[in-house]
Amino acid sequence: MTSSTPTLPSPKSNSFGGGILKGWKGRGWDRRATFWLIYLPPLFCLFVFLVMPVLLMAAFSFRPDMRGDLFRTWIPTLDQYASLVATGSYWRLLGISTLTALGIAISAVLLAYPLAYFLAFYAGARAGFYLILLLVPFWTSYLLRIMAWKILLGTEGVINSFLIYAGLIQEPLTALLYNRTAVVLTLVYVWLPFAALPILAALQRIDPALFEAAADLGARPAYQFARITLPLSLPGVFAAFFMVFIPTIGEYVTPLLVGGSRGFLYGNIIQDFFTKAANWPLGSALSMIMLAATLILVVLATRLIDLRQLFE
Amino acid sequence: MKPKRSMLLAARGILLAFVLMLSACGAPAPATELPPGELTGDLTVLDWAGYDAEDFWIDFKNTYPKVTVNFEIGSSDADIYGKMKAGDQADIFHIYTGWLQFYVDEGLVEEIDTSKLTNWDKVPENFKKIGQIDGKQYFVPWDWGFTSILYRTDKVPEGVDSWASLTDPKFADHISMWDDGPGAVTISSYIHGYDETAITDEQLASIKDEWIAQRDLNLFYWAGEPELVEGMRSGDVWVAYAWQGAYALLLGEGVPVAYANPKEGRNSWVGVYGIRKGTENYDLALKFLDAKLGEATGANVVNLFYYGHSNQDVMNGITDETLKQAFSIDDPDILNKTNFTPNLTAEQRDAWTAMWAEVKAAP
Repeated sequence: MTSSTPTLPSPKSNSFGGGILKGWKGRGWDRRATFWLIYLPPLFCLFVFLVMPVLLMAAFSFRPDMRGDLFRTWIPTLDQYASLVATGSYWRLLGISTLTALGIAISAVLLAYPLAYFLAFYAGARAGFYLILLLVPFWTSYLLRIMAWKILLGTEGVINSFLIYAGLIQEPLTALLYNRTAVVLTLVYVWLPFAALPILAALQRIDPALFEAAADLGARPAYQFARITLPLSLPGVFAAFFMVFIPTIGEYVTPLLVGGSRGFLYGNIIQDFFTKAANWPLGSALSMIMLAATLILVVLATRLIDLRQLFE
Repeated sequence: MKPKRSMLLAARGILLAFVLMLSACGAPAPATELPPGELTGDLTVLDWAGYDAEDFWIDFKNTYPKVTVNFEIGSSDADIYGKMKAGDQADIFHIYTGWLQFYVDEGLVEEIDTSKLTNWDKVPENFKKIGQIDGKQYFVPWDWGFTSILYRTDKVPEGVDSWASLTDPKFADHISMWDDGPGAVTISSYIHGYDETAITDEQLASIKDEWIAQRDLNLFYWAGEPELVEGMRSGDVWVAYAWQGAYALLLGEGVPVAYANPKEGRNSWVGVYGIRKGTENYDLALKFLDAKLGEATGANVVNLFYYGHSNQDVMNGITDETLKQAFSIDDPDILNKTNFTPNLTAEQRDAWTAMWAEVKAAP
């Protein structure tokens, strides 16, 4: 890295004086060069593939319609937002999607916590093996895992076949698949391993000496959990929650496959306006509203939780 | 778009260098028209998944083995329209009735020089007309089929004779509608006798209510034919909006299904190919479309996908009983009982697709 910064000013010319400071300033230059070298490529990627598309989408949401050249300038209009404000069902669906995502995130975290706890404290030498088992589903395609749920829940599926075989029901249950419950069930399953990882990382960071000290002072396991394990693992829990919650608000593939006619989420409506309606301006406006809603929720959450904890 | 274009340019550059190298090696100077077997170049086709298989352009492949054909895949008419609108560089694109007018209005399609199509006279006049806008031939008709109600004869022994069966509460939880707004408007128009080309706001509002009510009877909206076929096969779906490809497929598998002849008439759709305005490969694209009308290609459309082909010789040659039944070939009156999908205007497209989104989002 040093060779790439030949114009490095001599530390001696520094007017601050003081050997240590001078040395630090010299390295500071290096650090700045390294910083840009490391961060420029990802920043560039983020700008080109995230910031630009979002800006483009924002611009499209003020387009009157799809007529004319798509990349020619147009007179901004609020027509799309006006028509969305007038359509109550979209707002209601946004609310449902947010609540659904909230439920999925909470369920995934609650289920993932014992899993991570077991891996961190009880799995011992086999922890690595179990971790791999936990991640095995990711080696197959996401669609394949959702299709597996169709096989499980369908009228000729595993659950129905078993219940009929066991004589508990005569006719297959149709209520298992093609509704919002099936969407929730599938998404909780899909996100469970993702939720377990940050919790596991947080649990593993806890110094075992704390438990010994607590035990020496007479704290029983439940008390130790409440006063040591839980508070120290909370950053992982919040990280897990947001990791599930944010992508789930915009989810559309799972509802499409297992949701049936009544399991649609807000993301499906956005997707429809892009791929089934060729109405990008309206789809963009819907997306901007979701983006704003998500940002507001995250800001509210940061008011409640100190997000900086997550990165310490 | 940009990297793709530059890659294409690079590919062309390499090709050019290769051709120059060949001629430098003492190959005969190229005549004005190379024999088909020697013709080189590359074509890009924006098509639907499945139609990229060689079976569906086999005549071109055999006649012009040295031409590279690249495929891009679109998932729906709206998706393909969006891509072409955003400047997709495909030379040829495949769209369906209802979605033709915008391409002409927005200047995205080149007129077809039918004098260069050797198979053109095998295409019946009524098909040719479907590819005409404002009196000009902009599209080459290629595949076609019916839309009607497909039902399980074991679950619905009394049969169905109306499009209204898709909204009939007695089939609750066993109905599957196609996931498409314009499709829903078409059916409601048939049921209530509305003029499909002039739906009023009041009519659209009542159509919306009709489909919101239907949603509680509907098991799932199907987006791709395989989903529908699976639902019919398993017995979850008894009554569905369906293309005859699904019908022929299930019939061939021995699933007890029938394809209704609703009293309001069946619907019929036609797939057409267009050439992008401004393509540098216009002549090659015409050759491709001419070969698309070829008999081997057409026979594959009929035998592999169970759809009709615009080359009448292909249709006349069908002997398979399942297929004859699927196309209702023995019913001389069938085409008179069929409604062709009219072209949408941009306003209708936006209003009808928004109506459908509201159906899905409804409480």
